[in-house]
Amino acid sequence: MAAYELSMNGKTVSIDADPEMPLLWAVRDLVGLTGTKYGCGMALCGACTILLDGEPVRSCVTTVAAAKGRQITTIEGLNGKVGEAIKSAWQELSVPQCGYCQSGQILAATALLSQKPKPSDQDIDGAMSGNICRCGTYADIRRAIHKAAELAQQS
Amino acid sequence: MEMFISQPSRRDFLKTGTALGGGLVIAWTLPMGMGKMAFAAGSPSSNLDFTSAALPNAFIKISSDNSIRLIINKLEMGQGVNTSLAQLMAEELECNWQQIRCESAPVDPVYNATFMPLQMAGGSSSVTSSWQQLRTVGAMAREMLIAAAAEQWQVPAKECKAIDGKVQHPKKGVLSYGELAEAAGRQTPPTGIVLKAAKDFKIIGQSMQRTDAASKVNGTAIFGLDVKVPNMLYATIARPPFGATLKGFNEAAARQVAGCKDIIKIGDKVAFLASNTWSSQKAREAAQVEWNLSEAPHLTQTSLLKTYRDSLDKPGTAVKSTGKVAEGLKKASKTLEASYEFPYLAHACMEPMNCTVAYDGQTAQIWAGHQMPTTDRQVAAQILGLAAEKISVTTTFAGGSFGRRANKNSDFVVEAATLAKQLKKPVKVVWSREDDMQGGYYRPLTMHKVKAGLNKSGKISGWDHSIVGQSVMAGSFFGAEIEKSGIDPTSVEGVSDSPYGLDDFRLQLQLPRSEVTTLWWRSVGHTHTAYVMETFIDELAAAANKDSLQFRKDLLKKSPRHLAVLELLAQKSAWGQKPAAGHALGLAIHQSFNTVVGQVVEVSLQGKDIQIHKIISAVHCGTVVNPHGAQSQVESAIVYGLSACLYGELTLDKGRIQQSNFHDYQVLRMAAMPPVEVHFVPSNDPPTGLGEPGLPPLAPAIANAIFKLNGKRLRSLPFSKSLA
Repeated sequence: MAAYELSMNGKTVSIDADPEMPLLWAVRDLVGLTGTKYGCGMALCGACTILLDGEPVRSCVTTVAAAKGRQITTIEGLNGKVGEAIKSAWQELSVPQCGYCQSGQILAATALLSQKPKPSDQDIDGAMSGNICRCGTYADIRRAIHKAAELAQQS
Repeated sequence: MEMFISQPSRRDFLKTGTALGGGLVIAWTLPMGMGKMAFAAGSPSSNLDFTSAALPNAFIKISSDNSIRLIINKLEMGQGVNTSLAQLMAEELECNWQQIRCESAPVDPVYNATFMPLQMAGGSSSVTSSWQQLRTVGAMAREMLIAAAAEQWQVPAKECKAIDGKVQHPKKGVLSYGELAEAAGRQTPPTGIVLKAAKDFKIIGQSMQRTDAASKVNGTAIFGLDVKVPNMLYATIARPPFGATLKGFNEAAARQVAGCKDIIKIGDKVAFLASNTWSSQKAREAAQVEWNLSEAPHLTQTSLLKTYRDSLDKPGTAVKSTGKVAEGLKKASKTLEASYEFPYLAHACMEPMNCTVAYDGQTAQIWAGHQMPTTDRQVAAQILGLAAEKISVTTTFAGGSFGRRANKNSDFVVEAATLAKQLKKPVKVVWSREDDMQGGYYRPLTMHKVKAGLNKSGKISGWDHSIVGQSVMAGSFFGAEIEKSGIDPTSVEGVSDSPYGLDDFRLQLQLPRSEVTTLWWRSVGHTHTAYVMETFIDELAAAANKDSLQFRKDLLKKSPRHLAVLELLAQKSAWGQKPAAGHALGLAIHQSFNTVVGQVVEVSLQGKDIQIHKIISAVHCGTVVNPHGAQSQVESAIVYGLSACLYGELTLDKGRIQQSNFHDYQVLRMAAMPPVEVHFVPSNDPPTGLGEPGLPPLAPAIANAIFKLNGKRLRSLPFSKSLA
């Protein structure tokens, strides 16, 4: 066990954790932010996606130690022009069904739009295929990313 | 589960009744002697009385601040009940959609399904079974609000009008629902409610935004896995493979894991309790639990398949027999025969199973995504030795279910309740993905054999059909009936009720037993029966040298809804026109949960890879309550069905499931998502099921297209294996 100060959603968070503990469980069980979801534990499904210094990573295979000194963004702390545009589009188009995978989908989409403000369907396939949705919201996610791209450019 | 769904005749069972506790109570008497349920609307009181079968404010709670809380008596698992059921109430209530907040119902008989004496979501029944009930609830609340305003203004009620969350009178002005709520609760329950005609709908038929969208995009929606209770321990459980017993484990090593608090044996299972999820998983890993594996032939894939294949040629229980099958086949000028194989499938919901139970010796609380909260509570009550009323149940959002959370043994509740009882501490049992995939309750492995004939004019002459597969309903509340008859209706649905007018028909069923647990999986028996019926009909059409759509039309002359679907499908898919070079169109149509869905799929083959270019669906489901939600349900069933038919398969080795996670149990990803069109046959009929019916025709439509491309009839799933 070791004491860590993590930069999370613009705040400093102190936890006492095994350095090998995946950030996923630290965020959920120790910090108490449950918007980041467990889906597979093997970086296969993307439900646990968070942003580390703006880059999407799978928090189920990222250790607490590896997150030290980096800016962690979870769904609860997502804001900014692109993040807000994504969330608005998602809500307006009623994208979520069960909603369990959507935190990860939204963070992956935010990373995509931050890199490519006007992504093609192919760009979307490339950036989003690591995020599984068993409800099958893929078509709505595609629509919402295009919509968010418009919203972000207007704002 | 189609058998659950009946459309009760609307006038039969609506009776208005007595006021209890100052609120309005409306008795809803069920047909078929299934009991009586009551519900109420309108009073501002919020004290739930669990000793009463009738309570005020069961579904609608209006506060003085004009907020309207709608109580949803079905698990929101993605299917959209927190929107569609709200629309039913809001339509008649005449409120503003922005005023609405949805809440999940506690357990109480008042919230029972209208067709069976327990609270549940499943069988594509939510909108169908609530259609009369919740619109009536909304209308009664509206009439009480109008009556309260009329009383205050001293005018006849018929001069008042409810609109947009207010009651208006041309001379007296306007009163908001919030201002009227308390007085409305004291009004005499109205009788003779006349529900709106479809032409007057303002909310039904509109794509209202999902009421849960905001919380699901900002991370605040609470799922079962997110529940946290003070002093709670996290449990990871080592569960034996099927047929295995516990051999041993390294307890000392597990206890050395930081955060590990306790280790508890429950029969052949071992629970590792810790201060966080990670530590409980690490403790289990450190324990290196070993099992005595079973050598039984039915628990290893190759010997299991052989047993089933051999069984197909043996007689089974007679499910249905019309005419004389042997004579029909004898008269045929041509006979076709085929056998089909379908694997075990896991539901693989995004949120793995979990449950939290807190128990203090006198009372208990349970939190989970409960598809059947009544039975989940009953099971916990037995374990905890408490009266069911002493247990409060919170139904959280569920990260998918597809049938898995309607567990006939409440499996995910049993373990948490058992541990909470022993520890007298709150416990959250968390299943890993591997636990979830290997933990049982599968779509059963099933085989079919069919022999059918064609006469000289190309008509079907004789149809002999055998099915072998474990029962889904065995061990459920219908288990005794199935034991007695040897027939599980869900094993044969889609064949036994075929609309193709099969004469000289025989259907036999065998229900082998196994330690491998089975469960309803999105569209249940239709997952395999539709495949057999729709690919075999296609084979017969080809053998008769007829167009496959025309062949079906000729057989379905007495089924107007099927014909309407086929006509819409033909039009939208440009059926009969030549597809792009190297592409082929495949067609299938199937009725399930009283809804008819037809699909045309455009397919090409790149070596062994199936490329799906487009899926066009035509759906006859009566009234569409929320067009976007309805389209989402069909798209969802298509994605779920694609995952299963392209890749889905669980296999057994000495009782172990050989697949464990999304690398070896693949599911559809974004890049493989084809364009999907969903078209609804316009209709004002009462709504029929929609969560499941989009799935059954998909795989056979793809198979029928593949036949046109390579001349091969694929008779087992998944395609990744049968095409290889």
